Amino acid sequence: MNKTEKTVVKQFLYPSAIIVSTEPCEVTTILGSCIAVCIIDPVLCIGGINHYMLPLWNGIGLASPKYGNVAIEKLIDKLIMLGSKKDNLTAKVFGGGEVLETNSVQYNIGLRNIEIVREILNEKRIPVISSSLGGSYGRKIIFKTHTGEVKHFFINKNFQIH
Amino acid sequence: MAEKKQKDCYVSCEEMRKLNENLISLNQRLVNAEQIKSNFISNISNEILNPFTSILGLSKNILEVKKEDWKKVITMVAMIHSEAFNLDFQLKNIFAAARIEAGEVLPEISNIDIKGLILDIIDSFKYEAHKKTIRLQYKFSTTDKNRQYYFQCDSEKIRLILSNLLSNAIKFSKDKGAIIINTRIKNDEMICSVQDFGEGISRENQQIIYNRFNRSDSGIETTFRGHGLGLSINKAMIEILHGKIEFKTSTGNGTKFTVSLPKLEGESEGITLDGNELLF
Repeated sequence: MNKTEKTVVKQFLYPSAIIVSTEPCEVTTILGSCIAVCIIDPVLCIGGINHYMLPLWNGIGLASPKYGNVAIEKLIDKLIMLGSKKDNLTAKVFGGGEVLETNSVQYNIGLRNIEIVREILNEKRIPVISSSLGGSYGRKIIFKTHTGEVKHFFINKNFQIH
Repeated sequence: MAEKKQKDCYVSCEEMRKLNENLISLNQRLVNAEQIKSNFISNISNEILNPFTSILGLSKNILEVKKEDWKKVITMVAMIHSEAFNLDFQLKNIFAAARIEAGEVLPEISNIDIKGLILDIIDSFKYEAHKKTIRLQYKFSTTDKNRQYYFQCDSEKIRLILSNLLSNAIKFSKDKGAIIINTRIKNDEMICSVQDFGEGISRENQQIIYNRFNRSDSGIETTFRGHGLGLSINKAMIEILHGKIEFKTSTGNGTKFTVSLPKLEGESEGITLDGNELLF
């Protein structure tokens, strides 16, 4: 049976969570200044997605995937545990909007989130094949784990998002 | 020329000094992390092995009790229950922390009977409180017209959050003290506070209570059990439920933790989208 013919499970990805699936899965998530990194293994036809809110874990509280540096590492680890080779992985990156207007770089969480994802993926040598980052809008994305396809919408600014 | 060279040398020295400083502070953090890790492992083995040893020993004693001494059994069973209860609670916390760190925790929303849930949690701690003769007082109030205590939220997470607060309150209460649990449902918000009348939290510890593996006292002579995961789990769980946790404390008079949680809807459906669909 062809992989696309299988029933596709629909899931909603909450902030600070990671979804990695070997079965075809359609993951929806809503992004403001948060970032979702979709990592795809086109060889095994599997993929995973995270949703982090802040760039770096500061050593306080649990080292959860709320933080970019933890979330990206964990996502890559989970794919490798499912048998992916690191050299086959590619990434698509979304989010990091400046939803709350600030004029300071320090408080522009979106911008800092974008910097960290570029830095880590560059360090891990995982190519970013497409991205939609920054801007002042929120986003809704629907990611298909088995094909790596991402449907992307912008969201009206007056809607409250994370 | 020589002047420039000297200046360059000075700049690189300065840079080197700064890099060295960074390296030293990073090193110190690694040493601290290693210390926390080894403390954690010794704490955990204590927390898990000791209850098992007691449970095994006590149940063996029960098997050997003579018929006429049956009254002894009740005390021993109470001790077994207490050890097993603690063990179960610690393990639940450890697994919850592992799941949060793996990014596998999702809100599971249902309409729950808050009053029933909280009474159930209080009931599960009644033997623990009884051991220190602590009175557990509770109060409920609601703005609902029908005096109903239904609230849309995640019951398992609320159970763990309140169990952690209650367990801490019992741990840090003095003997023959009291704990007040106050629950209010106000329109779309649930506010629950747990107040003890123990020692309170010192100023320096107030900064670090939500850190993982931090206990307000550590070291071999500690009188309190636990591994310092409870409050860091609570903070992460409450964030997942979009709530808040605050505390008020005064040294010698005790601490009051207040958790407020909003009513949660299901997934965000039906939001307004702008512009066209893009495919990546």
